[in-house]
Amino acid sequence: MKLPISWLNDFIETEASVDDICNALTGIGFEVEEVIKYGINISNVVVGKIIELMPHPDADKLKVCKVDIGNEVLTVITGADNVKVNDIVPVAKDGAVLPNGKTIKAAPLRGIMSYGMLCSGGELNINDAFVSGASVNGILILDGDLKIGEDIIKALKLDETVLDISITANRSDCHSIFGLAREIATSLKLNIKEPNFEFTLAANSEKIPSVKISTSECPVYSRSMISDIKIEESPKWMQRRLFMCDINPINNVVDITNYVLLEIGQPLHAFDRKIINGNIIVRNASVGEKITALNGEEYALSPYMTLICDEEKPLAIAGVMGGKFSGITNDTKTVFLESARFNRGNIRNTSLKLGLRSDSSKKFERGVDYYSVEFGRRRALALFEQLGVGKVVYDCPIDERPIKSIKTSTSQINALLGIVIPKKDIISILETLGMKVEVDKNELNVSIPAYREDIDNYTDLAEEVIRFYGYDKMNETFMPTSSVTIGGLTYRQKHIEDIKDMLCAYGAYEIMTYSFTDEKVYDKLCLLENDRRRSAIKIRNPISEDLSIMKTELVSGMLSVIATNLTRRNDNFRLFELAKVYEAELPVKDLPNERDTLCVSLVGGKEDFYEIKSIFTGILDNFKIAYTIKSSNEPYLHPGISADLYVGDKLIASFGKLHPSVCKNFGIKKSDIFIGQMHCEIITEQKETVVKYKPLPKFPSVERDLAIIVNESITIGDIVDAIKKSDKIIENVELFDIYRGEQIEKGYKSVALKIKLVPVDKTLIDSEIADIMGKVLSALKNKFDARVRE
Amino acid sequence: MEQKISEIIQRTTLRINAINSVKELNDLKVEVLGKSGELTLILRGLKDVNAQDRPIVGKIVNDARVELENAIEAKLGVLERKELNDKLMKEKIDITIDRKRPIGKLHPLNEIKRKAIDFFVCMGFIVTDSPEIETTYYNFDMLNIPPDHPAREPQDTFFVTDEIILRTQTSAGQIRTMEKIKPPIKMISPGRVFRSDEADATHTPCFHQMEGLVVDKGITMCDLKGTLSSFAKHFFAADTKIRFRPSHFPFTEPSVEVDVSCVHCGGKGCNVCKGTGWIEILGAGMVNRKVLSGCGIDPDIYTGFAFGVGLDRITAIIHGINDARVPFEGDIRFLKQF
Repeated sequence: MKLPISWLNDFIETEASVDDICNALTGIGFEVEEVIKYGINISNVVVGKIIELMPHPDADKLKVCKVDIGNEVLTVITGADNVKVNDIVPVAKDGAVLPNGKTIKAAPLRGIMSYGMLCSGGELNINDAFVSGASVNGILILDGDLKIGEDIIKALKLDETVLDISITANRSDCHSIFGLAREIATSLKLNIKEPNFEFTLAANSEKIPSVKISTSECPVYSRSMISDIKIEESPKWMQRRLFMCDINPINNVVDITNYVLLEIGQPLHAFDRKIINGNIIVRNASVGEKITALNGEEYALSPYMTLICDEEKPLAIAGVMGGKFSGITNDTKTVFLESARFNRGNIRNTSLKLGLRSDSSKKFERGVDYYSVEFGRRRALALFEQLGVGKVVYDCPIDERPIKSIKTSTSQINALLGIVIPKKDIISILETLGMKVEVDKNELNVSIPAYREDIDNYTDLAEEVIRFYGYDKMNETFMPTSSVTIGGLTYRQKHIEDIKDMLCAYGAYEIMTYSFTDEKVYDKLCLLENDRRRSAIKIRNPISEDLSIMKTELVSGMLSVIATNLTRRNDNFRLFELAKVYEAELPVKDLPNERDTLCVSLVGGKEDFYEIKSIFTGILDNFKIAYTIKSSNEPYLHPGISADLYVGDKLIASFGKLHPSVCKNFGIKKSDIFIGQMHCEIITEQKETVVKYKPLPKFPSVERDLAIIVNESITIGDIVDAIKKSDKIIENVELFDIYRGEQIEKGYKSVALKIKLVPVDKTLIDSEIADIMGKVLSALKNKFDARVRE
Repeated sequence: MEQKISEIIQRTTLRINAINSVKELNDLKVEVLGKSGELTLILRGLKDVNAQDRPIVGKIVNDARVELENAIEAKLGVLERKELNDKLMKEKIDITIDRKRPIGKLHPLNEIKRKAIDFFVCMGFIVTDSPEIETTYYNFDMLNIPPDHPAREPQDTFFVTDEIILRTQTSAGQIRTMEKIKPPIKMISPGRVFRSDEADATHTPCFHQMEGLVVDKGITMCDLKGTLSSFAKHFFAADTKIRFRPSHFPFTEPSVEVDVSCVHCGGKGCNVCKGTGWIEILGAGMVNRKVLSGCGIDPDIYTGFAFGVGLDRITAIIHGINDARVPFEGDIRFLKQF
């Protein structure tokens, strides 16, 4: 919302500086986003009169002027052709500074010294709305009665300051100059002067259309009529104010409606009386109905949209835009003026659906109130009369509305805020905001003015009080009345953090990526057509295709991050991400299953399959979760260097070397990428268990090495399992070497293992050890046809 | 005899001092104290000494033996230490060579999140989770955001269906908490939220918030100020101040924006705080009566406060990150900086 200080001064008289006003606004909850100053960065530009004009002897396009600037006469060369002798013009003297930062210096132009420059409106950063003639392509020709030699800023009153203020959604009443003035006056403890709402009714000879409302979207529709309209430009002061508030002046009638929109916050609509056939009907659009709006576009309407019609045709899309032929033209003689209230949601939906927004629709979306409907219309009529635009011949005030009142007490307000604000302060704040306060001891009965529809109960009043009393007067307390509560993380949250800590200990850095991705990633990951992960939740209104579905896996995001890093020549790193993936039955009816999922990647020459395996199995070991390992069919992994991790019969993780095709699809040029993903429920849903201590073994353990030769196809995992199963005294089996080559026939390998025996109740003697090793060997022989390597 | 022994001690001591290797020392020990060593021989010759003098002479010889043994032991210690040291020095390596096993790091935002959680957990707050894909009921309706409120517009909110959206605020978690547990409630709910903003230096379509909620008897706005002030001191610096500015949120009344004194200039004014000395870090207020009663909590008995912090924003403020997109890129050079 733009607030020109000069306009504000119509309603409050204050010596307060712009800074003071800005601080006051900030203090009561209105953020000043920008302070716009006109007429700054102009110095040494004065009003001058051209007293002589000669062609330049050496340049066809230049003229040599003698300009009277009061105390002296300057010679100035100009290229403009719109000046003549006796014209009053802005003159930038030697050393003048213009808003674009340019400094004007005396200098010769084709051999003749020029001691300054005649300025255009553009060079002073102003246009027609600001000063008439300023938009002309050429020198700005000023009013003849300006004082020669006077500083241009003073002469043209260029020093305007406009505040750009952001207004919170609950304060539609402050999307108006007068509404803001009311707040500023309360804050600075000043009296507020109302705008002029007075006008006289002239005799009427024309029929005033009656209004029939057949929709619930229009709670009130008031009308008035102005005859003997003389369409012309509105006065300069009005144009300048509109311009400073980003509205282009059009003609006096339209300008008045816009002026009132800015000042009182009420969108008005001016119809040309002569195109209204019969009476006005406010109704919903019919199916298939169309209207051509003022902007020349045709709009197909939906039945929920509200139309202002006469008895044969739609005249306007209510609150949004007038119809092409219903507007004000130079021939308009009588104006039918609408001041109405339309429901916010209805205007918003209409405007959104049609892709059509206007200053009017924006205000209706924010909300208008019964005060603005009534006083906006009256203000406009006062202006019609004041500016001599026409004669007010009809006006009908709206029905009185019930006044909302709130019963509260000073103690109730103070109890919510936590400090004691004196009763007189509470009352005086509420009263300066326009509320009526009936006081009975500490009980307050507060009547709420029509423009404060946001005030609903005592907490709203408490907010009004503290807003003006000052939040800086509030104490800092720490819930002295509250009960003891025990804080903490849930097991799920703790376990998530534990997993992250483990990953860090493994040397991995945590990344964070968006939760959405592109459907194309599934092809890049080589997922099968029927892979469940392809059934991702779609966002109906995505920013772009590549952020259009909710992730069902984290691998693709990780691969993009790897690709980015490698392109930036970052190499040798470990990354992890622990985030949600989203699974739902499509089409989505219920909230999806959000699964905590971990993705880990290892990138660099020293990494291998066993590293990534150790991370996933290490995490499970740490949580004491038993698992089994199987070969994986995950399409994005190398079919020979990948594994699935099962807990019971539940697949919880897949990891391995990235498939070379997937590498290529993601633009990754390296081949040694190891990646894996795990669903974390198995950990996060784990109940907390208390570990019971087991006494440490009393008898010495024994280690034996064993080297066997087996067929290549036999896996180490199977061998280790078989050894462990052969006697329960065997606690651990560790691989320490695999050998292929000389002395071992082709297709076979030599496997060296360390076996640890832990006796429970006695020290093992040699013969017992030999028995156990015998059992181990025979088991291996039976199962794998293994033989001892001599 | 005595003279002979003292001469042996003297001579042997000189030799011990001169010796430079363990082996030589051991040889000397055998030579002097061994089976046929000088002293041993004297001891053996004791039987020729008359019985009266025998104990005296014996003591002298034994004392001498002990003295020499001690001297040899001492020297042996010195020599062994020296030899070990020589041996170790031969094993000297180049300690400037690196073999790094880096410890990874949490994402800076999650470090900040942990720090925030720590504070509130210590103050008796529980930590709750709530869905990232949420219903309009929890994200809007129950938070007193009416159907025609601009916050619901598709230009702000990602829609999955008419009723299911990507949550735009962690405030939805307030409602779910109040439906599940009754006062006293002290909770925080950190998490990811979504707004349909194109990514630029100050926006990303997903970001992170931390919601806070307290509901109990007699909770006042001064309690909100005290809580947030302690939080700011824990989070930024012991002398950090906070400031309330009036604002508006549908789910709180009164509502405020909360500024902290600039962490970079201490409030003097700099380019981080745009010369104001204050940085906006969160929105807060007293829980709206409609919100409380919607969750079955009697607003005439209970009051409460709520706040929502932008975690990405405070991470950026603390670390001076001037582009909101960078933390989502995963560039290892970024991650390693923290």
